[in-house]
This record gives sequence, C-alpha cells and structure tokens, in this order.
Amino acid sequence: MSIYKSAIKKPVTTALIFVAVAIVGLFSMSKLPIDQFPEMDPPFITVMTTYAGASASEIETNVTKLIENSLNAVDGLKELTSISKDNISVVNLEMEWGTDLDEAVNDARGYIDMLKEALPDGCSNPSLFKLNTSSMPIIQYAITAKESYPGLDKILNDELITQLNRVDGIGSASLSGAPERYVYVDIDQAKIDAFGLPLEMVGNAIANNNLNLSSGTVKLDTEQYQLQVRSEYVESSEIGNIVVTTTQTGQQVFVRDIATIRDTIKDLTLDEKVNGEEAVKLVISKKSGANTVQVCKDIRKELAKIEKVLPSDIKIDLIYDSSEEIENSILSLIESIFYALLFVVLVVLIFLGNWRATFIIGITIPISLIVAFIYLLFVDSSLNIISLCSLTVAIGMVVDDAIVVLENISKHIDRGSSPREAAIYATNEVWTSVIATTLVIAAVFIPLTMLSGMAGILFKELGWIVTIVVSTSTVVAITLTPMLCSKLLKAKKVKVDERGKLVEVKEKRGWYQRIVVGTLDKIDGWYANILRWCLRHKLTTVSIAILFFGLTLIPVMTGKIGTDFMQQTDNGRLSVSIELQSGTRVEESAKLARRVEARFMELVPEIERISSSTGSNDQGGVASLFSSTTNNKISMTVVCSKKNERERGITEIAEVLRKELAVYPEIIDYQCSTGGGMGGGSTVDVEIYGYDFDQTNLYANELKNLISQKVEGARDIAVSRDEDRSELKITVDKEKAAYLGLNSATVSTYVRNRVNGLTVGYLKEDGDEYDIVVRLQEENRNSITTLQDISIPTGMGNVKLSEIATIEEYWAPPTIERKSRQRYMRLSVTPYNVPLGQIAANVQSVIDQTGTPNGITVRISGSYEDQQETFADMIILLLLVVLLVYVVMASQFESLAKPAIIMLSLPFAISGVIIALWITGVSLDMIGALGFIMLVGIVTKNGIVLVDYINLMRDRGYELYEAIALSGASRLRPVLMTALTTLLGMLPMALSTGEGSEMWHPLGIVVIGGLLVSTMVTLIIVPVVYALMSRHGERDKEEKLRKEYIFMQISTKEEN
Amino acid sequence: MKCVFIVFNQANTSRVEYLLDALKISGFTMFEEVQGRGTNGGEPRRGTHTWPELNSAVMTMVEDDRVDELLDTVKKLDLRNKEVGVRAFVWNVEKSV
Repeated sequence: MSIYKSAIKKPVTTALIFVAVAIVGLFSMSKLPIDQFPEMDPPFITVMTTYAGASASEIETNVTKLIENSLNAVDGLKELTSISKDNISVVNLEMEWGTDLDEAVNDARGYIDMLKEALPDGCSNPSLFKLNTSSMPIIQYAITAKESYPGLDKILNDELITQLNRVDGIGSASLSGAPERYVYVDIDQAKIDAFGLPLEMVGNAIANNNLNLSSGTVKLDTEQYQLQVRSEYVESSEIGNIVVTTTQTGQQVFVRDIATIRDTIKDLTLDEKVNGEEAVKLVISKKSGANTVQVCKDIRKELAKIEKVLPSDIKIDLIYDSSEEIENSILSLIESIFYALLFVVLVVLIFLGNWRATFIIGITIPISLIVAFIYLLFVDSSLNIISLCSLTVAIGMVVDDAIVVLENISKHIDRGSSPREAAIYATNEVWTSVIATTLVIAAVFIPLTMLSGMAGILFKELGWIVTIVVSTSTVVAITLTPMLCSKLLKAKKVKVDERGKLVEVKEKRGWYQRIVVGTLDKIDGWYANILRWCLRHKLTTVSIAILFFGLTLIPVMTGKIGTDFMQQTDNGRLSVSIELQSGTRVEESAKLARRVEARFMELVPEIERISSSTGSNDQGGVASLFSSTTNNKISMTVVCSKKNERERGITEIAEVLRKELAVYPEIIDYQCSTGGGMGGGSTVDVEIYGYDFDQTNLYANELKNLISQKVEGARDIAVSRDEDRSELKITVDKEKAAYLGLNSATVSTYVRNRVNGLTVGYLKEDGDEYDIVVRLQEENRNSITTLQDISIPTGMGNVKLSEIATIEEYWAPPTIERKSRQRYMRLSVTPYNVPLGQIAANVQSVIDQTGTPNGITVRISGSYEDQQETFADMIILLLLVVLLVYVVMASQFESLAKPAIIMLSLPFAISGVIIALWITGVSLDMIGALGFIMLVGIVTKNGIVLVDYINLMRDRGYELYEAIALSGASRLRPVLMTALTTLLGMLPMALSTGEGSEMWHPLGIVVIGGLLVSTMVTLIIVPVVYALMSRHGERDKEEKLRKEYIFMQISTKEEN
Repeated sequence: MKCVFIVFNQANTSRVEYLLDALKISGFTMFEEVQGRGTNGGEPRRGTHTWPELNSAVMTMVEDDRVDELLDTVKKLDLRNKEVGVRAFVWNVEKSV
C-alpha cells in the first residue's frame, strides 16, 4: 500500500508520528548550544624557535630557511609565512580549511625532528603551537578604581581571579595593566662613586639582610627548639637602614645615604586606560569546547556577586562580550524566521481564502524546521548564524509541496468527491512530481556540502539543513497533508431541490470572494490574454526578452556592480592603531592617547567606551611576542552604541576618526579598522617580494603614496614591515676592557644592572612577594651622556663606561617577513565605500603604471585573493548545480529539450540579480553568489510546474496554443504562490537591521531580485519558447508511429 | 446492440487502440493484465515463470451493423502474427442505462 494511503487510513498513527518528531525536535533544540558559527578550527600552526644572540638575518638563513624548507612538504599546506627577528624565528603554516590539524601537527613535528641536527648549536628546540579559537578572549572587562588603585593588583588577584576561576568552562582569566607593587632602590651615581661602591655591593647588602634561615636545633632540658635567623624585611622602609659598608674612617654607609627607596607601583611600560581613566583589563578566555554564551552568562553572574565584596570605588565595566554579539545576531535571525513564517502563512491565506487549508499548509513549516534541530544535535552543531539562516532560506520552500498536494485535493473536492477519496486519488496524481521538484532542490543544495575551503565550512550546514528540511516537507506533503485534508476539508454541500434536481448549496459571497478572488480571476484572465498575444507574436516576444537581457548586462559591463569577499559587518567596534615617531617615550605616547581620546569623544557622541593601551608589558612572555604595541604605538578599541541606536554606520565613524587622526603632526601612521567577524576586515593586500630591504621599502613607499593619491576609497594603507627601530648600541673596546679585567659579557651585565635594575630579593607581605629592584635613579640613566657616565666596577676601582666603550645611536634592522620561502612585505589597503574588486583593479592599474623594478615581484592577495578563489569555486559549483538540475528535470520529463526550455529562466534570473544589486548598491559577495546558486533551484521549480501542465494539456488533445494558454491561466496561481512564499520568506533577511545582518543582506537581495524578474519572464518566455520548439512535437510522432501499422490492409479472405 | 469482447496479447495493446480509433468506436472498457488459455492451440498466457506472457481485454458495445466490420478488422490483426494473437467474441446486450 502506498504511503499516502496508509497515512489516510491511519490518521492517529500519522498524527502521532509527527507529534513524536516534533517532540524530539524540540528536545534537541533545548539541548543545542548557541554559537556564532559552526565549529571550525582555524588551520594555523606556528613553529617558534629561539636562537639567542643571532640577528634577524642570521636567524633567517640559519633557522627560518631550514625550517621552512622541511615544513614545505607538510600535507595540506596552503601557505607558508615566517617572521625572523633578533633571537626569534616564527614560522606560520596556514593549512587548507578542513584539514585534520592534529594530523598536520604530527606531520610537522616529524619533519622538525629530522631537522634538529641541522639547526645551529645553541638554538632552542622548535616548539609547535596550534592556534586555537579557545585562546581568543571571549569577554573583557575594564576595572577602574580611585582610592584602591595602588592595591588593585592584589585585590583583584586574591578576590576576583580566584573566584572567577571557579566558573565552569573558563580557560584563563588574566589581568593586564594591573599596577604591580615594586620596591625600587634608586641609587645616586655620584654618591656611590664618592664612596667608591659598586651598585652590586648595595644589592648584596640588601639581599643578605633579607633572610629567614634555619640554624639547627637547640635542646633545652626536656624541650627542643628550632633555631632560626629571621631578618626578612617587614616593611620597605627597613631597607634604608641597611648598612652597605663601613668606610676606612669607621663611618657606616647606610642605603638611605646613597639611595632613595620608593615602595610604589611599577614604572610605566604599559599604559592601559578606559575612557582616559586608569584601568586594568580583565581578559577571560574559555576552555576549548565550552559554550561561549553559557560561559559568559556564568561569568556575568559570578562577577555581579564578586563586585559586592570588592571596595566600593572599584568599578567593573564591560569592554567586550562576545556572547552579546552572538545572542543579538541569533535573536535577530529568530525574528527574521518568525516574520518569514508570518508572511508565508499570510500569502497562503490570501490565495486559498480558507482557514483550514492555511492551517494544513502552515503546519508543515514548524514540523519541517524542527527536523533541522534533530540533525544539528546529531552532528554536534549549534544554533548559529548559518543554521538559522538556512532555516530562513528553507521556510519559503517547505510549503510548496504541501500547496501542490492541497490544491489538487481541493480540486477533487470541488468536483464532488468526498474529502477522503479526494485525498487518496489527488495525492496519487501529484506525488511523483512533488518528489521530482524536491529532487531539484536537493540537486542544488547537496553540492554545497562538497565545497572546500572556508566557503565549504560555511555552506556545509546550509546544504544539509535545506536538503533535510525540504525532504521532510515532501514527506509531510504526501502523508500528513492528505491525512489532514481528509479530516479537515469539507465536502461541497449539495442537496436535492423540490423538483428532484441536485443543486449546490452556494456559499455566501463574502468580501474575500468579491475582492481577492475577483482580483485573482482578473489577473488570470489578463495573463491568459497577454500569453495569447505573445504566442501570436513569438519572434517579437523573444527579441524583446533578449534585448531586455542584454540591457541588464550593461551595469556589469560598465562596472556598476562591485564585488566583495564578504560584506563588512557593523558590530559597533573599531580598532584604531596609531604609530608615533619611533623612540617616543611611552609616557609621551600615553599623553597623546588621552588627547586623541578626548577629541574622539567630542566628535563622535555615539562612542560609549574607548579602551587604549600604549607600550608593552616587558614581562609579557610569549604573549607579548605576538602583540605589536611598543612604546611608540597606541592601540585603541572604540566601542560605539548598538547599530540600530545610531544613525552613522561604523564605516562612517571610522572615516571621521581617520580625518581627525590625519590632523596630528606627531602621528606618522594610523589605521582605523572596522571589526572582525568572519575572515576579519576585507583588505586588498599587495605582496611585494624581493630580497633587498632598501629596494622593497622604497618601492612600497612609492606604491603607498601613489595608491593614496590615485585610488579612490583606499584607506588605512599599511605596510607590514616595521620602520627601522632606533636603538642605542654600546660598543665595547675589548682591548681596554681586557686590560681592566672586563669583557663584553661582564660589561653588559653591569650596564643591565644599572639601567634595567637588579632584582635583589622580595618583600613579603600577606603571602605575596614584591620585587626589590636596585638600579640607578632616573636622572642617571636618561641620556646618552649620563649613560656614558655610568660607573663600571673593576678590580682596580670604578671606571666610567665611556672609558671602555662608545655609545651610539643606530637603526636596528627590521624583522624579516617571508612568504612561500621568499622575503616579502605586504601593503594592505582597506576599502571605504568602494567594493573590494574595484579597489583591487585600481591598485593593479597603479602597479602597472609604476612598473616593478628588477628583482621585485608583486602580487595582489588578501581578502581579494580569497574572493577570487571563492568565486572560482562558486562558478564550478554553479555549473555542477545546473547540470544536476538538468539531469533531474530531463529524467522527469523524459525529454532533453523541455529542461532546456525551463532553464531559459536562468538568464533572466541573472538580469533580476543585476537589477536588484544595481538598485540597492550592494556588491556581489560570496553570500550573494550563494544566493544565485540557490536561485537555480527556486527558479526552475516554477518552470517545472508550468511545463508539466502544458504537457498534460497537450496529451489531453488540446491544440498547442490553447494548451499553453489554458495551462498558463490554470498554473498562474500556484506559480505566483510558491514564488511569493519564497520571496517573502527572504524579505526579512534582506531588510533586517539586526546585528550581523549585513552579512546576509546580499543573499536576500539576490534571491528576491532574481526570483521576481525571472518569475515574470518565465511566465511569458517559457510558454513562447515551448510553442516555438514543439511545433512538430510529440503528438506528430505518435501519428507517424500509427501510420506504420499496416495490418488493416491484410486480406481476411480464406485462400483455398 | 452487441457486446464485443476482444482479448489480446499485451503486445497488441496500441494496435487494438488504433483499430478502435480507426473504426471510430470511442467507447470501451479495458481490462489490463488478464490471464487466459486457448482451446485450439497457442501458448497459455499466465504471467508465470513457465508462461510469462499476459493478455489484456477490451469490452466494447457497438451497434449491430458494425460488428462484422469490427470482427473483420480483429481478424486482420490476428493474421499479422498468429503467435501474438487476438480473439473476439460477441454477445447480445439485453438492457442498458
């Protein structure tokens, strides 16, 4: 027995099966975590090697090159880049997206093991890191305080961090910019010189009096005691009373005589401010696998508890909460889904004018969508932007099958069948074609799951979800829909009148009958007339259509349609980086930062918070290796109010800030980039390959100037290679030094002790230890002259540094960046209000005009390169999809020509897409291209319905034109209805202003534009071309076959 | 009015439809896939492994004067290939609504 018959015969079973599916789906939904994107590991591996004492170019030849050469063979490697700077070599491997990273790391480790022998002696073992998304901070707070500021470090470490670490899923919580307590012993050079004391002696004296030592045990009568020397400092003031030495005259020299003791917070090297106030940044990252939204929620709850315990002047402000962004974009998507649902149901209601029918159609939507949640739970995915967008995309399509089935059932009921019979036989008539249209959709969406690269990760879920949801809707359409029809739809009321005649009981003609049905009838008739006219003027019609198609290509030819990799999203965050003259003191940079902040606040009232950091934490360890803030750089995070609460877009605000930054003469370079999201900001990168630093620098600067002058919309042109850093170099006269019993190593230690400081022990308080640092007071180490005046102790008394060494200023060589095993530098250009593709083209023309010097090769990459790669993928995908759809249709119609007729709607979909993009001014990006691929399925579905019916009419013996006009009139409503449901389902996506919605705008716009135009054209051009091509069609063939029957001519007369 | 019962090998289906069209006989009832066996030779049509072929049958009500013409045409069809046979039987129609 067929599936629909069973469904109708067992209504309880059928209904309960779907109830069960819905319950399992809802259960899955409650279990699904919320996340921004489907889980993906960014495929980066870093190999870090240190080789103390080697210069950048030595590192490059002896370490980096060797590692690069051996790692080049790692499977799945996409790009190999490296940075060589003094002492350190960092090699970065970018793998293809979707590579098994563990495998790749093992592979890389194997190659490095083989290489170890070849690395120079004294070089550390290369260490491998896997970049992990969980290492990214998920939430950041700014902690400000007034009175408690000096003790903030202790308060936070003791009370905040320890408590926070108890929250489930937290990877690490760390403070940055916290004021650390230090005890400084600032020594006056002149005074120690007067006593002839070396600084180290002061240090030793302080260290040696700061002891707790066990001196054995003492037995007294019956008891036994531990004997201990306890002379640790209790207070920092005690240090001043330490005797450093006794002079020959018997005079005691105390520390306080030669130094000042400061018990204070650490000298400024990293300046963290929030809205210009002293602030400590609390950065929290999650454990890998933990759910961001949940962890952030727990953190917020825990912090609220902790805040009550902390001193009242400590304020904790949120700088950045990644969960907020996720929740907002998820919420705006859920909103879109509900709007889509509403629109779709309204369309159905208007066309059918029947509550019961609308309910039957409407019920397919939630049931089909809920199945997607089961799939998501099954593959360990989450409710993310991709999965929810897929649902929005699917909403308009899931009702199509049910509409076709219901329409046919109502037709049978109108003819007088009982609902039950009508349900069985009507479903039987259409179920194969319903399955065929679903196959068409599957043919479009399944190939999406096979894409590689980042697009593959994004679209895999989309492909599966739409396929699964639409397949489910088909199952619903051939089981639940006929079952519900058999129960809910009413048979036409008939009665026998007094004369014994059967008459229909006329329903009351309500407003619906008068207005809506009247209008629809009028449209039907009007359309049939147009169609008849077009059929009489086939050539004219076709010519107009071709002309129309040609005209719409003009915006593309004239470059009116831009291309992008991805739309820039407006998450209300800007990162500003400012570079000052190298060598600027961190205090000076910080002062400027305050001024800039104040101006920003004035210019842009939308700004809620600016957190800025200047300088670097010199004890930052490995982390500081990756951060680029140094004393002459300021980096700011500017947080604006929510997108829908302000009028200016984030790019406009960025432009305002850029203009302001251009005013300051002391700022030599600045960037103002709008926030992240997938793949970061979109930039066009110019890669300049060349061995000679000077040559490439010169060329890069020339290009930079030309691009900023000639290329419209080019902003934030940044050169990746740092300016040469100014350094002071001490050159030791080895002969003189040796004469005094010194060598370069001892000299460098002495200088380090005096300038950087000598840590001579700890001041202990409440279980915490604070460094005691002995060094020269600032006046003795803040100029070249005073540095030359530093005393170096020798066996023969003190000598001045200038006697044994010279100090000169020099420029340290830059870090050496390499890509694909060649030296290179990168010039990145951020577009402002101009599509990426156009910037890339203009940059290319600038490069062509300048010409490249010998020994330099130039290549355009960055997001533009990603865009090119993805578009190439998309075109292949499009061809594949068109082919698959053709195969499905050809097998359904058993004809090679019919699918070709239907596919004629595709060029007009292109026209529609172009017009839509042109009007809205949106550029075509990866998501838009995806929309176009989806159009292939959606658009052909309309054609299938139409052509299928024309075929039917012709088989029933109608004359060709009559068959076409009749089918046109009869199929107009279903075609309009399915097109409208899909279109309106997409509308919220195209219009949404929620956070992160920019990303999906192009999809909505492309589908709506393409569908609108192609539906209108399909309704005319497909029948006309059908008429053109079927003149001598199938019916004639049958006649021919019959003519071959010659048995009628056989004589039946007996021959005997 | 006479009832003509035509039973034929399935392979003759389109020819039977054609001959009815040719004789302008529009009304008929068709039974698809019927089994049968002949009295005077010919292979049984049972749809089994041994006798895999099947017949179909058409019942058509025609005016008396058209019966001969119809039977004659059926005979012609039979002569075309005896192995793919066709038979026709005629009886009276007593009443109809």
